[in-house]
Amino acid sequence: MTLSLAVPDILVARAKAGDEEALEALFRAFEAPVYNLARRMLRNSEDAEDVLQETFLEVVRSIRGYRGDGALWGWVRRIAASKALMRIRREQIRTTEELLEESTGRAGPPLGLTLDLERAFESLSDTSRAVVWLHDVEGYTHEEIAEMMGKTASFSKSQLSRAHVRLRRLLGPSGEGRST
Amino acid sequence: MMHCTMDQLLAERDGEGSPWARQHVAECAECRAELQALHQRGAGLRALPGRRPSRDRWPAVRGVLAAERRARSRRTVTRWMGLAAAATLAGLVATRAFGPAVTPVYAADLALAKEASATLEEQLAAWDGPGRVMSGREAAIAAELEDRIAVIDGALPEVTHEARLLELWQQRVELMQQLYTVRVTRAAYVAF
Repeated sequence: MTLSLAVPDILVARAKAGDEEALEALFRAFEAPVYNLARRMLRNSEDAEDVLQETFLEVVRSIRGYRGDGALWGWVRRIAASKALMRIRREQIRTTEELLEESTGRAGPPLGLTLDLERAFESLSDTSRAVVWLHDVEGYTHEEIAEMMGKTASFSKSQLSRAHVRLRRLLGPSGEGRST
Repeated sequence: MMHCTMDQLLAERDGEGSPWARQHVAECAECRAELQALHQRGAGLRALPGRRPSRDRWPAVRGVLAAERRARSRRTVTRWMGLAAAATLAGLVATRAFGPAVTPVYAADLALAKEASATLEEQLAAWDGPGRVMSGREAAIAAELEDRIAVIDGALPEVTHEARLLELWQQRVELMQQLYTVRVTRAAYVAF
């Protein structure tokens, strides 16, 4: 999702001063895109809502340090992506993604059965889905993704490649899948 | 005929393809179709409908922030009380005159923990200020540590058992040290 979310400077200044109305206005401005980013990266809506909350807590705690030399949305988005990735890492500590795919059938239907793009995307592993979304939709480079994930750029590239191989198999030869 | 791998096609899509891959795609209808499918998939993902949260999380955010403000005030009071208590306890240990309410061995350790906690808090307060920005990752770690410290601060007034009290204060010092490490040694400006 490519967004241009311009926020008036005066609103940012008021938020920096701790004005609660301004902070709420920022929350309302970024609530939907932050949630959408988190929901696309994470498996369930509850986790995505938690990331939304954690992100804004962080925004409020750190906004005094925001230098204003880039779009505020870029700064907020980076925090949200990091929070979502942290949640994925915590989940991975509890179980390996491979095991989860086997036990929950999350790997999706048998290969060859054409799916719509959204369902095919959601059938990817947590890490692959996060990399695809951050790179192909949000426009982060592999280097930026690697930094956020604490991995290498090669790891990010490899995850993206594996994810697209899987998407191609799930979506069929046209690459687009069925329209829903 | 050797075709492009997915890695090569993705690099080509992102404008980072090798000369060989570029030439091959130009000549190979199959790989051209794969590349086209990659573009379509990306466009399809970007066109997915935006999702919205089912619940309003602002009241929860506001509630946590209010709790943090209360905890900060409490910590300030606790810090001064802690120093006073440490002096009192140290006096009790030294004189052994009044039948200590807290066993001496615990009292000395408790005083030490409280003093360490106060020192770290002062150092952190001196370090934090406008213009300090951490990366999202480090900020998240710091936030988690602050949450855990706030939980301990909330529990401290309720605890009367001396061993448990000491344990909590020592945990607080440990968390403060971790927070200090994150804030002071790993803080970095983030450029976008």
